[in-house]
Amino acid sequence: MNNPNSGLNRRGFLWGSGMALALPWLETFANEKEAGQGTPKRFVSIYHPDGVGLPLKTDPAWKDWSWFPRGGEHDFQLTKVLDVLEPLRQDITIYSGLSHPAARRVHGHSNADQYLTGADIGGHGPYRNTVSLDQVIAEESGNLTRHASLVMSTNGGIGGPRGAQTQSYNREGRPIPAMNKPKQIFDTLFVTTGKEAKEKLARSQSALDFLIENTRALDRKLSMADRRQLQQYMDAVRDTEIKLERAQKWVNTPIPEVDTQHLVLEAGPEEARLYFQTMYELIYLSFLSDSTRVATFQLGRENGEGPHDLLSKAVDLGKAHALTHDVKKPNGWQNLGTYNRYQASEFGRFVQKLRNTPEPDGHGNMLDNTFAMHGSASSSFHLSRNYPIISAGGKNLGFRNGRYLKFGTGNEDNQAGAGITTDSGWQSRVKVEEEPLAALFVTILQRMGIDADSFSGHAGTLARV
Amino acid sequence: MLTQPFLKTLRESSAFSCLVFMVLITASPIFLEIGVGEEKTKPLSLEEARSKGREKSRLMKIARGMVDRTTQTGEPDLATFERSILPLLQSKCLACHGPDVEEGNLRVDSLDPDLLSGKSLSHWREIYKVIGNEEMPPADEADYQMSDEERGLAVDWLSQELTKASFAKRNSTPHTSFRRLTRQEYEYVMKDLLKPPYPLGDRLPTESASEDGFLKSSEMLQMSAMQFETYRELGLEGLGKVTAIGERPVPVVYNIFMSDHWDRISKADPSKLFSASHSDYKKQGQRPHLLDRSSSMGVLFSNGSVKPELPFTLEPLPEVSPVVMSLTGSFESKWNLDRFLPDEGVMRVSVRAGRTSNDPEEHIALRLIFSAHTSNNANFTEVISQHDIPVNAPADDPEYVHFDIPLSQIQRNPFRKLETTFPRRDEFLHLKCISHGKRAEIPVAIHIDHIRITAPFYAEWPPQTHTDIFIENSGLEDQDQYVREVLKRFVSRAWRRPAKPDELDRLMILYQKYLPQTNGFEEAVLEVLGTILASPEFLYLAQFPPEGQSPDSSQLDDFALASRLSFFLWSSIPDEELLRIARGGQLNDAGVRRAQVRRMLEDPKAERFAESFVSQWLGLSGLDSITHVKDAELVEAMRREPIEAFRDLLAGNDSVLNFLHDKSVWVNERLAKHYGIPNVYGPHFQKVDAPSAAQRGGILTSAAVMAMNSDGEHSNPLQRGVWMLEHILNDPPPPPPPDVPEVDLTDPRILEMTLKERIADHRNHAACRSCHARIDPWGIAFENYNAQGAFRSKIGNEPVDATAMLFSRQKLDGITGLKRYLLLDRQDQFVHALVYKMTTYALGRPLQFGDQAEIDKIATKLRKTGDGLQELVFLITESSLFNSRAQVQIHEQP
Repeated sequence: MNNPNSGLNRRGFLWGSGMALALPWLETFANEKEAGQGTPKRFVSIYHPDGVGLPLKTDPAWKDWSWFPRGGEHDFQLTKVLDVLEPLRQDITIYSGLSHPAARRVHGHSNADQYLTGADIGGHGPYRNTVSLDQVIAEESGNLTRHASLVMSTNGGIGGPRGAQTQSYNREGRPIPAMNKPKQIFDTLFVTTGKEAKEKLARSQSALDFLIENTRALDRKLSMADRRQLQQYMDAVRDTEIKLERAQKWVNTPIPEVDTQHLVLEAGPEEARLYFQTMYELIYLSFLSDSTRVATFQLGRENGEGPHDLLSKAVDLGKAHALTHDVKKPNGWQNLGTYNRYQASEFGRFVQKLRNTPEPDGHGNMLDNTFAMHGSASSSFHLSRNYPIISAGGKNLGFRNGRYLKFGTGNEDNQAGAGITTDSGWQSRVKVEEEPLAALFVTILQRMGIDADSFSGHAGTLARV
Repeated sequence: MLTQPFLKTLRESSAFSCLVFMVLITASPIFLEIGVGEEKTKPLSLEEARSKGREKSRLMKIARGMVDRTTQTGEPDLATFERSILPLLQSKCLACHGPDVEEGNLRVDSLDPDLLSGKSLSHWREIYKVIGNEEMPPADEADYQMSDEERGLAVDWLSQELTKASFAKRNSTPHTSFRRLTRQEYEYVMKDLLKPPYPLGDRLPTESASEDGFLKSSEMLQMSAMQFETYRELGLEGLGKVTAIGERPVPVVYNIFMSDHWDRISKADPSKLFSASHSDYKKQGQRPHLLDRSSSMGVLFSNGSVKPELPFTLEPLPEVSPVVMSLTGSFESKWNLDRFLPDEGVMRVSVRAGRTSNDPEEHIALRLIFSAHTSNNANFTEVISQHDIPVNAPADDPEYVHFDIPLSQIQRNPFRKLETTFPRRDEFLHLKCISHGKRAEIPVAIHIDHIRITAPFYAEWPPQTHTDIFIENSGLEDQDQYVREVLKRFVSRAWRRPAKPDELDRLMILYQKYLPQTNGFEEAVLEVLGTILASPEFLYLAQFPPEGQSPDSSQLDDFALASRLSFFLWSSIPDEELLRIARGGQLNDAGVRRAQVRRMLEDPKAERFAESFVSQWLGLSGLDSITHVKDAELVEAMRREPIEAFRDLLAGNDSVLNFLHDKSVWVNERLAKHYGIPNVYGPHFQKVDAPSAAQRGGILTSAAVMAMNSDGEHSNPLQRGVWMLEHILNDPPPPPPPDVPEVDLTDPRILEMTLKERIADHRNHAACRSCHARIDPWGIAFENYNAQGAFRSKIGNEPVDATAMLFSRQKLDGITGLKRYLLLDRQDQFVHALVYKMTTYALGRPLQFGDQAEIDKIATKLRKTGDGLQELVFLITESSLFNSRAQVQIHEQP
């Protein structure tokens, strides 16, 4: 297949042209909202594994294919990797010098798990994670929408400890499985009917009561070691109970009707472009219909495996994960940069779409009320420092964009760990100073209207944001 | 501990040779040299190597008494250490692993000879491995060679002490493991329990393999609220699909008689008819046409429309008509069914078909495709038949072939219910001919005279799957009593053990709660059954001790044992017979159990064992993410090959050494073509003798192994070497150390090198040497196979150089050299590795050091009984590991 777009054309993928969304119920809800709920505040986090290209200044590839911009806070210049975001310049902010301190010497393959949690997951031995930023927000906003949050990834499920395939973790630090099939996501958002749900709820409640009692009986017969396994099951049943209570409120509310004609719900990772765009579109639709206000989407997984490696087919390149290992091969930096550029362009397309859509309640456009974050938990090769993060939107939440914000000291030109393609990078001593990413998270939480002064053990907000 | 005066003299005497050794290492790539030690004598044939290798087996020489000892406790044998082992280490090892030089961070003079309670266990295990594999002392250290007798002394002592240590560890950790069903197991369990019309389980989150490559490790099998809900939904959905409450639904029936179309077309334009006896027929006959077999007249025809029959007639079947549709090659016939198919239920497509030739080298089958053409850019077609169905009846005596398609599971035309006619509402069914084999001058054709489509289709009412749950009421007048019976029976299957009265009481209370919320008692029962399918007793595999014993007992009750057997061999629940034997308490009888295992292996469900074990053992999921083999049919054939080989060896109780090399290969037409093996026809796998030119035999040379260990267009010797060590020899290399320099491909010096030279260059960096010397040679021996797994003798214009030198200075001359070496010197290691892998799979948990003694025992018994693959299954099911409750993983401190 020479033309990566041919699949798109063949199936008549009508992006943005005549997108129609029927929202009969939104109006009925609008009154309720004016009465006190206010304009939605939304959060979305896009995660891409494998970091970005960070060649040394002496490398000829540095000029075009180093990810971070050049220049100052307002007069920054984008390299070829991010120049696709130039039209959105006034709507984005690019950050450098941020990372989670606990993972700075953890191998890049293991660190996706802690991107939104900041937990000290370590590199080996016992594993424990903590609640993720999106789920803290969802605990508040989730009560106002049918779905507390939308958790998606290309690989689906949860992966394994230190091999996350989801960005989202609940209060117990347990991973929340990500959905990866557009059809399944769509059906979850827009197809289940109210009446069935109501009857189901009543029966579910009885079932849960029985299962809790039964599990207690089983627990008494198990050895200590087995009880820990069973506890996980018990937690799952309890979580379901909580969800049931919330669902009870929604059973009489009609599901928004969404025009599906332009959606290719059977798209899979092997049709990378179509798949990326469909997944982004589902986030957009879920926001537009106010089905949820919190979404996470992970593109692939660290240490690429499964569908992950198909994603770079979007730009006709080979295995996505190998791109980071092959930067010293001919055109290596350019290839990695080209894939990162593509990721940025899809994010840009999504941001643009939010910007072009007026907020249904008339309060600015959707982007003004959405904080959209795009990033990775490593910069250079396996290096869990200096996360490459872009944010967009959030004007009505108090974010000022059009800026390149450098944090930390000693690494103003982003050369720490640059050009390294060995494990000596991530294992080396941390020589430069970086700000904890959790500080940005606290800022985000507060601007989302959540009463929080710390996250993941870090107290205080991030200056200048 | 070594004594000081000795050390001093040793230090002085060995200083010189040690220096020489170091110089050698840094000055030339001694671990991989080409042409060094060229053998002048004719090498052994692989068969000779195999029988000689068997004679060399250490496991074979272990005395019977040692093998059968069930517990080996006791004190460390320090006397032997002082007398024989210590002097040996001092004279052969200390020079490089002592106070002066500490190669590999190992000092043999600081090891604690007490393996049971000392702190040097992991070092001793490593020493056991390298001495046993003859990797140490290095072959080029003339002064430090061990005689066979000395090596035997060291290996025997270490083996005995390690066994004692293993037992000691095991007895001190009496924990059990308790794990959730894997996604695959869940699917099989639901299939066996309910027989739903389509697989349930796709919607469950995917699982990752643990480090040893297996999917059953409890730490990888998590549970979350969303997943729990999915189990509830799937359970209820499955139950809904297999039960049938109320009146039999009226089906939509389409009948397609080819004679109707013949009448219409032949009357409309008789000039289009042609004669099948005419010489032109050779050409016309290859395209889809209608043929009157009685008059030998034909007319081109492939696509038609059909409306449902009202009122429909199911019986009797029409007589065979001489007018048929003829399909050859990969042609298809497409039928417009308009918009009348129901949303739900099974669509049965019955095709009366026969084949025109009985040449066994021609294969012909039918495939179903479904499509809609809603607008120019919104077409879709989907293959809806799970498998192609071969047409085997002769054309003059055709038989029906049946496809059952769950309508709710296929892509339907979303516009079929519109009031308007655009977008188009109609749906199409295609019958596609799939032919394989040699193409005769007049190729084989399928002749079809009648097609009947029925939806929803029920062979009987209520269906069997319904009466399996709602069993016949054996005269119980009270409905509650009947419901209790239904629940009791279902629980005993779903929970793999009889229901206890108090459990049934609780289930009845739940039933009473549902009863007023549902329409009729059956719906209430289904809700209860759905809850049973979301319970921990169903979703988790528990290993309970027999009734009345403490939760920490190491004994396993009969029902837990029955489940262990069935989840090992069927990836699913025990059947009625196995449960019956468990109820009778006979499973502990060796004869009864062996008979059961044999019966289970003969059951078609045992194919799941082959499929699932081989996939996990060899890491075949690696094939899912390769992009450089474009032909999906070829990738699937690659994946099947080792599975088919395993099935065949298992059925014949053939030697496991056949995995390393076999005179035969298991191929289908597609794979045979890839391998350059002529005269293999059809999509099914066949065991054929591999011509020597094909360079195949055993699983090492399978295209799957080569393709998944390749990097896009190029073979990847490093990955192949790692694969070999991990999967075949169970000797995984350590992770790369820090400060590994990358091969800099912008360096002109490097660019001029061949791949093999680059690897050699890389290996000569000090940081890389120790690992790569152990890994690369294994992979380089495979260089004659390209990234697609095809054989090659040239790369570009250069001849392939597949000679490699192992760490132990053993030269491997390509794949044959590798196989020869494995068969001659590594038989025990391979057999042991396979025992280890299969036991891990059977137990569903990672093995630990404490299990090692029992693994050794199984391996020894297997070797002594002739290495039969079926015997291995028996030995595992008879081992004490399998028959006791498992240990939970305790992380050992590194």
